[in-house]
Amino acid sequence: MNVYFSRISIILLFLVININAKAQKFLIPEDAIIQYAGSIGYLSVGAGYELFGNKRGNLDINYGFVPESKGGALHILTAKFAYRPFVINIGNFAKIYPFNPGIFIRYTLNNNLGFNFDTVQYPKGYYYFSEAARPHLSFSNEFQLIKGKVLERTGLKALSIYSEFNTNDYYLVNYFQNTTALSVTDIFKLGIGIRAKF
Amino acid sequence: MQFMKILFLLLTVACLSVGCNSFEFSPEQTFDRDSPKNLNAAGLSKMQNSRPKDDTIRFVITGDTQRSYNEVTKLVEKINTLENLDFVAVAGDLSEFGVLQEMEWLAREMEKMNAPYVAVIGNHDLVNKGASVFKKMYGDLNYSFIYRGIKFVCHDTNGREYGFSGKAPDINWLNQQVQPEAGVTGIVGISHVPPNSEDFDPALIQPYHSLFDQTPKFLASFHAHTHTYAEFGYPGSTVPYVITATAGLSEFLLVKIINNKLSYERIFF
Repeated sequence: MNVYFSRISIILLFLVININAKAQKFLIPEDAIIQYAGSIGYLSVGAGYELFGNKRGNLDINYGFVPESKGGALHILTAKFAYRPFVINIGNFAKIYPFNPGIFIRYTLNNNLGFNFDTVQYPKGYYYFSEAARPHLSFSNEFQLIKGKVLERTGLKALSIYSEFNTNDYYLVNYFQNTTALSVTDIFKLGIGIRAKF
Repeated sequence: MQFMKILFLLLTVACLSVGCNSFEFSPEQTFDRDSPKNLNAAGLSKMQNSRPKDDTIRFVITGDTQRSYNEVTKLVEKINTLENLDFVAVAGDLSEFGVLQEMEWLAREMEKMNAPYVAVIGNHDLVNKGASVFKKMYGDLNYSFIYRGIKFVCHDTNGREYGFSGKAPDINWLNQQVQPEAGVTGIVGISHVPPNSEDFDPALIQPYHSLFDQTPKFLASFHAHTHTYAEFGYPGSTVPYVITATAGLSEFLLVKIINNKLSYERIFF
């Protein structure tokens, strides 16, 4: 786990140094996102980056909050990667992306959730999971408006609504060991959101 | 293209049919709109309102139900065939990761049980936000109840989770609980980590078992955690410390108390 994260950090650092010249343009996000639920907060806001030449990929960075009245308080950072392999054109004004698989890593910032379990308190491997960092699998569908009065008035390039189902390692472990007592709908959780493209 | 449209339609229908219950704010949230509350209190009130058919107290000790929902389904079916059962106690590790969803899944299965049940905290239930989830869904980590003259003392023995800081088990609280009381003819302890485990606070092993061993009318101390059945005791005392096998091994303990004499049998399902 630690080796994996240090490698990712090195790659990210390398990227940041190398894109110095293009840095400003690179760092400005194309999308603004607001999402309800979906396991990354009661409400979360984020910035999205288009990936690849065909712009079918997305990297989103979100901050989410769960208030105490909704089972928190929790502060959550999420990095999402998703790809849109299919598109359905609706005339020349809208697109539907029906099935977009993705992965995301969620990091809960609360003090009492550790990235690792204390090595003094616990023997090695006593708990094999991380409390703070959680990997998720997701799939979403998206309805995207690309032309129309709303966009003209707001100056946006596109405006989308999406729904996203996700599950995580905790739920998958439980599911695969209990496929009769648990169903797929037990482990997939829903979120809905709006994505505005500038 | 036709295929894509159908796929989209199907997914939309799936979204709508699963509906609002699937909205999750975070796996670490400590409750949600539908999560059960105060289940221990509900179980106890069901017990107090029951009408026993004979003088024998019968209860089940199970534990370590984590990651074993398939087996819990069968456990509940088996328990439902037992006659005149007073209650069921789950001796900790209801969950693997201490998250709400796991405790909800267990509660959903346990709801199908005819007999009332109570739950006791396990070490796995204390990771993540588990302690808060447990408190809201079940109740206190240390609690006791008197049922037909027997006092059941349910408590947190997960010392390692507190860094062996002397907080768990709470010896002072236990000492108060085992004091002589009018109407109490016997005392039974129920907790997760047994005192012979490496996860029991080493400094508290001696005070813990001495307290139980020296308490008159202390009938037995029930545990889980080590996943296999065992019984042990300490020199100079007749108090048995009994560990139930995990629900995943398709085994539980059926305990009977007749005239203040406790006996138990291992039931396989």
